[in-house]
Amino acid sequence: MTDVAATDLARPQGPSILRRLRGDYFATPVDAVISIVCLVALVAIIVPVLRWALIDANFVGTTRNDCTGGGACWVFIRARFGQFMYGLYPIEERWRVNLAGLLLLATVALSFWKAMPQRGRVVPLMWVAVMLVGVWLLSGGLGLVRVETRQWGGLMLTIFLSVYAGVLAVPLGILMALGRRSELPVIRMLSTIFIEFWRGVPIITVIFLASLLLPLIMPAGWDIDRLVRAVVGLAFVIAAYMAEAVRGGLQAIPKGQSEAAAAASLGYWTTTRLIVLPQALRIAMPAMTNEFIALVKNTSLVSIVSIFDLLGIAQAALADPNWVGMNNEAYVFAGSVYWIICFGLSRWARRLEGKKTTY
Amino acid sequence: MAELTRLIYDKRAREIFWQVVILLALVIVTVFIVRNASQNMVNAGIASGFDFLWRTSGIDVPFVLTDYTSNSNILGLLWVGVVNTLVVTIVSIIAATLLGFVVGVARLSKNKLLSGIAGAFIEIVRNIPLLFFVMFWYSLVINALPAPRQSIGIFSVAFLNNRGLTIPVPVEGSAFKIAALVILAGIVGQAAIAIWAKRRRDATGQIFPAWATGLVLLIGLPVLAFGIAGFATTWDLPAFRGFNFRGGFVLVPEFVALFLALTVYTAGFIAEVVRGGIQAVVKGQWEAAYALGLRPNRTLSLVVIPQAMRVMIPPMTSQYLNVLKNSSFGAAIAYPDLVSVFVGSALNNTGQAIEIIAITLAIYLAIGLAVSGFMNWYNAKTALVTR
Repeated sequence: MTDVAATDLARPQGPSILRRLRGDYFATPVDAVISIVCLVALVAIIVPVLRWALIDANFVGTTRNDCTGGGACWVFIRARFGQFMYGLYPIEERWRVNLAGLLLLATVALSFWKAMPQRGRVVPLMWVAVMLVGVWLLSGGLGLVRVETRQWGGLMLTIFLSVYAGVLAVPLGILMALGRRSELPVIRMLSTIFIEFWRGVPIITVIFLASLLLPLIMPAGWDIDRLVRAVVGLAFVIAAYMAEAVRGGLQAIPKGQSEAAAAASLGYWTTTRLIVLPQALRIAMPAMTNEFIALVKNTSLVSIVSIFDLLGIAQAALADPNWVGMNNEAYVFAGSVYWIICFGLSRWARRLEGKKTTY
Repeated sequence: MAELTRLIYDKRAREIFWQVVILLALVIVTVFIVRNASQNMVNAGIASGFDFLWRTSGIDVPFVLTDYTSNSNILGLLWVGVVNTLVVTIVSIIAATLLGFVVGVARLSKNKLLSGIAGAFIEIVRNIPLLFFVMFWYSLVINALPAPRQSIGIFSVAFLNNRGLTIPVPVEGSAFKIAALVILAGIVGQAAIAIWAKRRRDATGQIFPAWATGLVLLIGLPVLAFGIAGFATTWDLPAFRGFNFRGGFVLVPEFVALFLALTVYTAGFIAEVVRGGIQAVVKGQWEAAYALGLRPNRTLSLVVIPQAMRVMIPPMTSQYLNVLKNSSFGAAIAYPDLVSVFVGSALNNTGQAIEIIAITLAIYLAIGLAVSGFMNWYNAKTALVTR
């Protein structure tokens, strides 16, 4: 700390940019070499990428023949944009997806609105409501045209899987975390086994497990939609990780809190609901957001069982004979969308972490 | 009656009651599942049990490190999957740890350009699905390399094309065994030197270049041995016949793509673990080392990293376990790992879904437990002794 202050004082106020550059990048010969190597490497990577993605790229047109530059053929992404977003969802019904998305955004915003009266009760009810309305909007029935889940796909499906598996995982994860810290040996053991099992196996085997075994263990004639299977599988895994995040939060609550509640003759559930969980969840929030980010990334695995989420539909689009060899464009586009979503969420998690310290 | 009310309000009795209820519910669910499953299997005409493991597999696997052929039984196929999973996991863990350390230390560099590049790498890699990297690398590897006919020859003994890197392998014989022994001796020698050098450094403060010596030993000894004995070995040279190379050993592009994806992705996470570990070492340790006249890189390697290790081991264990689990992403590009050959090919052939998935899960859990057991032992060994 002190040497920073000293150099600040020593630094003259005048034309300091050159001096600062020298101080930051060329202070010693080793520093200078590192800086030059970094600069060369950066230029060697960025220049070709920029040339490919922007300068030599083609943006307008409708067919492959419009791509005359040597770079990226973004025409392909434009032509396929609808599919990347909605899969094979009927074009005239896409407003339903958009409406469901808006409702979701509104629910998220309301969940973080501090001034809402009865927040602890309203928020869970709101999520239940929006999830039920969401299923109705997306799949139809009751006045809307039915859209089979087979036709769902693209970014919409990625978000659907993440939200439904994530929201189911939160209560399950909280229960498992409480169970793991319970004083009752049977409950503690069962919760521990649940958590360690799902954390110990690859998520890809869980997706196979859900898609192959779930129909096998149900009574004959029960047909579970394959999207439901995927959601159940993902939810179990994420619940196990969420449970560990919540356990971290629970461990941070001093024992005096529940002892004080017991002295006020509050029972276990009242204490947990009103005193322990609100504090623990606030602490666990950044960790839970990180688990949610992992979930968003892992939903891409459903393409293994032929469910076409964003990455799956990007790969499927490559099979179109009119657009052979568009691999880089498809992957770069899908990767960028994932990156924007996950990076946004992780920045948000970091902001939550920053806020926590003010309490 | 009074007895009963007392029982309802008794904490102990209530606790036992709820645990019994939960156990009963679990039993009911299990019975329900088992009954449905056996009923469904009878309907589908599948016999349960593990006898299928001894049936001939009839499945060709493109990347085999065991003595498996399609005439082997399914147990042999399972072993191929396990070995392939372990190979890609171990190689990726080593590479990701090295790359992760470099990036993590670079992230903390005073040079803003270097730390900025490291930061960008971390943020890009961590926020994109691993499956994306697997597919992207695979498409790059496949598209960038020529067809077998236009292979890139390396001294005309090894050939690189879009079906992989074909390398000559020594035919198993006495000279081959000697070479293997020499490599083993090199590894043991390097370990011995490292331990001796550390003891001497702790005792006298003199630093012995153990790394450089070890490297000479590790590379030099085998080269020497091959020079003497290796020419006597008969080599299985790849040669172009028909449409592809015959002979030699093929390092398939699926392996390369999966290895690159796992390495780059995991390195992003390990870099953050390393950064966190180094930052957890209090600044006074650096200052004290400087005051003793240690140079910055010596301070890092002798004072800071050993202490940071203690902080790093638990999260590092999770990352290693993630590599093991994530190696299953190879199934997406048909790298013949455990999931791919067993939950994929073997299940398709036999239809024994329950048994195959149970075996697969059990194997992952067993390897995972072994890894975390080892890391916990290592952790206990290096942990700070507190009184």
